[in-house]
This record gives sequence, structure tokens and C-alpha cells, in this order.
Amino acid sequence: MAEYSCLIVEDSPMMRQLLVFALARVKNLRVTEADDGVDGLRKLASARYDIIVTDINMPIMDGLKLVKRVRSDPVHKDTPIVIITTEGSQEDRQRALQLGANAYITKPIQAPQVIATVKELLKLE
Amino acid sequence: MSKESKRRGPGSSDNPPDLKKERDQFLQSFSKGAKLTEEFVKEHEQLQKKLLELEAENTRLRATLEADAAIRDLLQKIEDLEQEKRDLLSRYREAQAVSTKVSRRFHEVETEFANLANLFVASNQLHSSMSPRGVTRRIKEVLAQLVGAERYCMYLANAEGTELVPIASEGIPGERLMSLHVDGTEIGEVFKSGQAVVDEDRDPSQGTLDRPSAVVPLSVDDKVVGVIAIFATLSQKKKFDTIDFELFKLLGQHAAAALVAASLFAQAERKLPGLEAFLDLSV
Repeated sequence: MAEYSCLIVEDSPMMRQLLVFALARVKNLRVTEADDGVDGLRKLASARYDIIVTDINMPIMDGLKLVKRVRSDPVHKDTPIVIITTEGSQEDRQRALQLGANAYITKPIQAPQVIATVKELLKLE
Repeated sequence: MSKESKRRGPGSSDNPPDLKKERDQFLQSFSKGAKLTEEFVKEHEQLQKKLLELEAENTRLRATLEADAAIRDLLQKIEDLEQEKRDLLSRYREAQAVSTKVSRRFHEVETEFANLANLFVASNQLHSSMSPRGVTRRIKEVLAQLVGAERYCMYLANAEGTELVPIASEGIPGERLMSLHVDGTEIGEVFKSGQAVVDEDRDPSQGTLDRPSAVVPLSVDDKVVGVIAIFATLSQKKKFDTIDFELFKLLGQHAAAALVAASLFAQAERKLPGLEAFLDLSV
């Protein structure tokens, strides 16, 4: 059975833990964690990922910059990206989607919603 | 005619035969016979025609009978198929009901799992730091990330238990960040009673600093030492769910305890107690 890999980019250890817990429910999905955008890019440079889940508000490099960088990278330009944000504003979502994010989840996150979004983007049953 | 024939001919009597009459009679008889034959022929033709008609009718009737039998068969087949369809529909409905029940149960289990994961992560995070600042940061994370609080304040009571002093907050203007008297304030009442107050009738994102959406007492060893007041949630959070109430309970029981433990550890200059501190713990 095919194995998928997911990169979680989130500065909050609590949110990371919660996302790891949620995504552990997705069969054959291997999860890697990154503390911020820079750490995320470092991990993307050394491995291929099938999906990226990233927070927007992060120190050093935020999620929007990360999306922009990923989309300009020939290796990961087509990798689905899910944005997680505390902002409820339409503007923020629009910006993320314009930059190339595929979906967004608004905090407080619900595990079933995270699972459903990731499964949908990976085209899993 | 010879003499002999004149003597022996028909009607040989004394009178001479009336040939003309005989001829007429014969002709009449012949004519009758011919007429009769004609009638027979005509009748025969009619009978032949009738026979053909009857044969045609017979063929048609046979065909009709066969068609009727085929229709009867078809009707029977339709009835059988209808019955089969009814059975299948009934089984489908049963299967659908079971499937709906399983889906509902699956959804409930998933939600329950998500809630437990939230509680586990919150509890785990609250106790994962041994510095007062770290614990405070984690309490704020639980409030912001898991509860979805946008404006909130954590108060601890002074030694006399008369005032609540703000020690951590988010989204509250500096001029409103002040100590509160325990008496005469809604937040103070929660501190005194030890009972959480959650305004369930109102959209929690619409709460104000004067009318908080939720106030949760913080306890250490069954003693109330402070409160968390959530003045407003994020705009997308329109109501508190079961998990929020569970998180309030968890924060009430663990937040202050984690904070006190971290403060004591800091006061002890992060020195772990010696083994002698644990020797008398056997029960």
C-alpha cells in the first residue's frame, strides 16, 4: 500500500502535537514536524512530501512566505498545501489561496476537519 | 322407330307412349338435377369458403391463445420482478439504516477521539514546562488555540483573597487591565463560589469586558486561587461546545496547579527535591 508523507510547519508545540494526533488517524501517512517556515524549507530541501500543513502566523518565516517559496520550487510546486490560521478574515484566506495554497483551516482546529481536508487533497478514501 | 320398339317401348300398353310428356318430364327432372347440382356446387363453394374462414379464425384464435399465455407469463414475470424489487428495496433500506447508524457512530467516535486528543494535548502541554512563564504561555495557548478565545485574562487572588490581580491576558487594552474587587463583580462571584459561569444564550464572540462570555475558577488542591475570564472568542466561534466545557474543567483543575508547581520550582532555583522528600510517601 502506498505511503504518504506530510510536513507540518507550526511554531506552537501544542498545535503541532494536536496535528500529529489528528493526522495519526490517516492510514499510511508519515508525519514530519517543522518549527517554522525556515525549518520547513530545510526539510523540504532534503525530502519529498505529498502534502504540507502550515500555520500562517509564525516567527522567522510565516506561512504565506513559505507558500510562495514552495510554489517557486520546481520539486514541490505541485505539492498540496493546507493553511492553518487564527484569522477569520476573508482577506488572509484569499492571500494564501492566491499564493497557491489549496485549502485553509481556521483555528480553533477540529481534528475531523483536518483529517477530511488532508484526505481530500491526497485523494484518499 | 322399329315395330319391335313400338311394341316393347315404355308405356307399352295399348295406348301409345306420350313421348313428349316423358321428354318433358325427363327434361324437368334433368333441369331439377342440374339446378340441384348447381346448388350443391354453390353450397360446396360456400362451405369451402366457410371452412377457410373457420380455419383462419381457428388460426387466429390459436395465436390469440398463445399470445394470452405469453402475456400471462410476462405478467407473472413482472409480478415476480416487482416482488424481487420490493425485497431488494427493503434490504437496501435496512442496509442504508445500518450504514447511517454506523456512520453516525463513526462520527461520534471520531469527535470523541478529537475531544480526547484536545484534552490530552492541553493537559500534556500544561505540565510540560516547569517555568512560570512557560506554564503561562501554555495556558494562553490552550485558551487561544483550543478554546478559540480572542480576549481573555487570567487573574490570581491576593493573599487576603479580596482582590483578583491580572497576571496574563490577551486582547485587553492596558487601561482595562486592572485588579478587581472580589465583592461586587461578576468575576469575583465566580472566585467566591468556585462555580464556573458560562453564558450559553449568547454568541461568545460578542462578549464584552463588562459582560464576559465565560468565567472559570482556578483551583489548587480544592482551594480556588484565581479565575480565567474569557471576554470574547474568535469571530468564527459562535458557541461553546462540549469540548470547551471539558477544557474549562481541565484548566480549572490543572492550570493553577501547574503554575504553582512551576513557581515553587523557580523559587527553589530549579533544584529537584532530594530523595528524602519522597521516602515517606508510601500509603
